[in-house]
Amino acid sequence: MIDQLKYEIEEKPVFCSGHNACPGCGEALAIRYILNTMGSNTIAVIPPSCIAIISGHQPYSSMRIPTYQTTLEASAASATGMKRSLIRQGRGDVNILVIAGDGGTYDIGIQSLSGAAERNEDMVYVCLDNEGYMNTGSQKSGSTPYLASTSSTPGGKPTEKKDIAEIMAAHRVPYVATATIGYPDDLARKVAKARDMKGMRFIVCLTPCLAGWGIPDDAAVRVSRLAVETGFFPLYEVEDGEHYTINRGHTGLPVERYLETQRRFKHLDPDQIATLQGQVEHKWALLQARTKLECEPHPEYLTR
Amino acid sequence: MSAPTTEIRTQWTTSFTDELTTGTWRAAIPVHAYKPSPCHVACPVSNGMPGWIKAIGEGAYQQAWLSLVDTNPFPATTGRVCHHPCESECNRTVLEGAVGINGLEHFLGDQALAAGWALPPAGESTGKRVAVVGAGPAGLSCAYHLRRLGYDVTVLESREKPGGLLRYGIPEYRLTEEVVDKEIQRIVDLGVEIRTNAPVADPESLERLRGEYDAVFLAVGAQRAKRLGHLDDAGGPARVIDGLEYLRRSSAGEDLGLGQRVVVIGGGSAAIDVARTARRQGKSVTLMSLETRNIMPAQDEEVFEALEEGVTLVDGAMAASATLTEECLNLECTLVTLDTEAPVGVLRPMPVEGSGFAVEADSVIMAIGQDPDLTAFAAVPAAGGGTIQVDMASGATGLPGVFAGGDVASQYRYVSAAIGAGRRAAWGIAASLGHPSAEVLPHLDLKQAVQKEEINAFYFPPAERTEKERTGAAERLLGFAEVAKAFSVDQAAHESARCMSCGLCVECDNCFVFCPDTAIKKDADRPEHYAILEQYCKGCGLCVAECPRGAVHLEAVAR
Ligand SMILES: Cc1cc2nc3c(=O)[nH]c(=O)nc-3n(C[C@H](O)[C@H](O)[C@H](O)COP(=O)(O)OP(=O)(O)OC[C@H]3O[C@@H](n4cnc5c(N)ncnc54)[C@H](O)[C@@H]3O)c2cc1C
Ligand SMILES: Cc1ncc(C[n+]2csc(CCOP(=O)(O)OP(=O)(O)O)c2C)c(N)n1
Ligand code: SF4
Ligand code: SF4
Ligand code: SF4
Ligand SMILES: [Mg+2]
Repeated sequence: MIDQLKYEIEEKPVFCSGHNACPGCGEALAIRYILNTMGSNTIAVIPPSCIAIISGHQPYSSMRIPTYQTTLEASAASATGMKRSLIRQGRGDVNILVIAGDGGTYDIGIQSLSGAAERNEDMVYVCLDNEGYMNTGSQKSGSTPYLASTSSTPGGKPTEKKDIAEIMAAHRVPYVATATIGYPDDLARKVAKARDMKGMRFIVCLTPCLAGWGIPDDAAVRVSRLAVETGFFPLYEVEDGEHYTINRGHTGLPVERYLETQRRFKHLDPDQIATLQGQVEHKWALLQARTKLECEPHPEYLTR
Repeated sequence: MSAPTTEIRTQWTTSFTDELTTGTWRAAIPVHAYKPSPCHVACPVSNGMPGWIKAIGEGAYQQAWLSLVDTNPFPATTGRVCHHPCESECNRTVLEGAVGINGLEHFLGDQALAAGWALPPAGESTGKRVAVVGAGPAGLSCAYHLRRLGYDVTVLESREKPGGLLRYGIPEYRLTEEVVDKEIQRIVDLGVEIRTNAPVADPESLERLRGEYDAVFLAVGAQRAKRLGHLDDAGGPARVIDGLEYLRRSSAGEDLGLGQRVVVIGGGSAAIDVARTARRQGKSVTLMSLETRNIMPAQDEEVFEALEEGVTLVDGAMAASATLTEECLNLECTLVTLDTEAPVGVLRPMPVEGSGFAVEADSVIMAIGQDPDLTAFAAVPAAGGGTIQVDMASGATGLPGVFAGGDVASQYRYVSAAIGAGRRAAWGIAASLGHPSAEVLPHLDLKQAVQKEEINAFYFPPAERTEKERTGAAERLLGFAEVAKAFSVDQAAHESARCMSCGLCVECDNCFVFCPDTAIKKDADRPEHYAILEQYCKGCGLCVAECPRGAVHLEAVAR
């Protein structure tokens, strides 16, 4: 028999309608599953970003939980302080959830994040990765893919996208995962798994930006899936910095199927597409190799 | 003067955004509404595939069959012989291949025969009577639907048994008499009276029927074989015979003594059946058709099976002349091309110069088509091409109270087309007789159906199409046993799961799941199962894009 695909996602009513996201926004869809999975025993920390806009303009909030809007540099530091204070108050059971953009994660907030990861602070940190500073007019960030056109790199970005999942894995935190909106069940499962763990749990979720990427209002889900199926953005998990599990990835679909859906890649010539294809193949091979790297723990090595 | 004071809030956020309205942003709004599937639109009987195929998947066979016979009272028959235009239009062709709709129909049809299920009962009596002339698929389908609409129906059939070409044309190895008998019996059980050996032979008989009944449906088929005069002249009745007559007499067990070398002329289903029947009688058979194989009117699989059975195909050719010798008929043949300027439906062969060749035949069987015999129906206005002129939607002819359908009124000569014409005419007749709830059935166009682009292929993991199993060619030639086998229960389950239920919501919740604004609510009380929260919906269309099957649509809103 053939499995008929049906999503069974348990949602708690935390995220509200009536928010300010653009029609069809991938980020809003991600927030729905993140908040509604985390549940109401949660405090959110949000730096400046589209997420902050979606969370509501005063005095309105789209999140039926306390939210704290911090600075772009300080999400992980704010979260650290809040969690420690809660523990002192005997309310350590309250989840601290950071939802930050890629600008606020890969670039401007990376020092506080790295410090918190080093100390294995207790939080769920979700980066909603739309591959640019979208809220301020689609400038390039450290997450913008190689050759993508942004308002500050109109001819195409000359450098590669940073690999934030690997950066976080290299901190040997308990849990790192990648996710995207095209697989909401996978996203919700990872958020629930992170919620029920301790220490630094980090999820980077690809969330297509309609205006910034140049895609139609109804395309965010489809485009996010193409990112996975072409190997541009594989879905995987890393536990304790070394145990890799690939959930979904390259199906052999050429990367062009993904690029052609977006205005930010319209200027690419065939050689550039070939280069991107090569990058994807290389990274995909590398990721697969990592899943096979099993090494016996050294008897003297202390795990967390 | 006191300075104005500003109240300092103790709690910064005082409300939630669900008080706000974002619905004003939209330029379009999604609507959950059934949309016809292309298979349904393409099916000449208008079968409702998504519904009954889903029921097969749930194992609810009788419920599935009842839904199917709502339109088609002959599923075991069409499941065997229909040319299945539904499959040609099936949206699943964008994936691995069409759903095996015909095989599923075959399966259900056989389940019903094995279990002895009865057709849905006759409708409440209208007190009106209708005469049906001809007990082929068109006439019997019309009788069935009229009966369900509450009419008394009398079918007049010239032959000794009902069924028309189902019985006297299509051979046993494709459609058994047993199946035909059983499917007809169910209609009789509904209270339809079939009078056999009762031809309507002259214009006066038709006038009498018009007087005695409230309406008359003509479904006499096309009985008069087309001939090729030059071959008749050269060979005479001993060596040149008509295909239909040959099939009829062969199925009655008669040996026509045709000699060893048989040449069949024609390119349709009938010609193929003549050729395959002759092979089963041990003849060496050459099939000669004007059309080349790729454009022959016969179904691909029939041609394929004929070749497997050892029929020699000489396509794109004609017998230009013939001479009778002591031993045989010498056919002087030539290859031809077909004139592309010829009007639609007309074959105008143009000999290819220097391509002449000869074929020796002990006998020639013609199967180049039939024309209706309209001598008894001269009062009914005819169309060009020798058929009765009808309004396609209602079956009405130019003669008041007289309706017609099937081969007698169309060049689109298929069993399913005849069944569909009978059904449309039943509703057309009921509407003309003032039935309280019947209307002329609407015509659907493929443009109104769920388009291939509306299917979201992501949700349909690859699944190979199931073909009916067939006996091997050598075994087939031993007799007239059925060639194609019905699906097993497992095969039917697999094949039904391949149906994507185009345009018919299956409550998968995808539209609900993918709304970034949580603007879709599940609502079990609504027939469409979901409500769009107008206060919030921004009209992005993600729900429409992520509906796997085109069951939710965006409609523009005035701003
Ligand atoms: C050999 C052969 C194979 C075929 N194979 C296929 C196939 O595989 N698939 C497919 O879809 N189609 C096939 N067809 C075509 C299909 O059989 C016909 O299109 C279909 O049967 C037409 O149905 P009908 O009811 O209009 O006419 P018919 O089936 O011809 O029935 C007409 C009935 O009216 C009766 N009748 C005629 N005149 C009178 C009268 N004056 N008074 C009373 N009764 C009368 C006849 O005896 C007959 O019973 C085939 C045809 C032939 C000849
Ligand atoms: C230190 C600092 N620099 C710049 C800004 C202005 N700013 C506000 S939001 C934003 C964009 C943030 O981008 P990202 O984190 O990727 O979130 P997105 O808007 O794309 O969701 C910027 C640059 C700021 N608030 N603080
Ligand atoms: S997938 Fe099912 S509903 Fe859609 S066209 Fe094919 S048979 Fe019909
Ligand atoms: S996904 Fe939601 S907001 Fe978008 S059109 Fe559908 S109901 Fe409206
Ligand atoms: S997405 Fe699923 S539930 Fe929604 S309309 Fe389509 S079939 Fe129905
Ligand atoms: Mg960003």
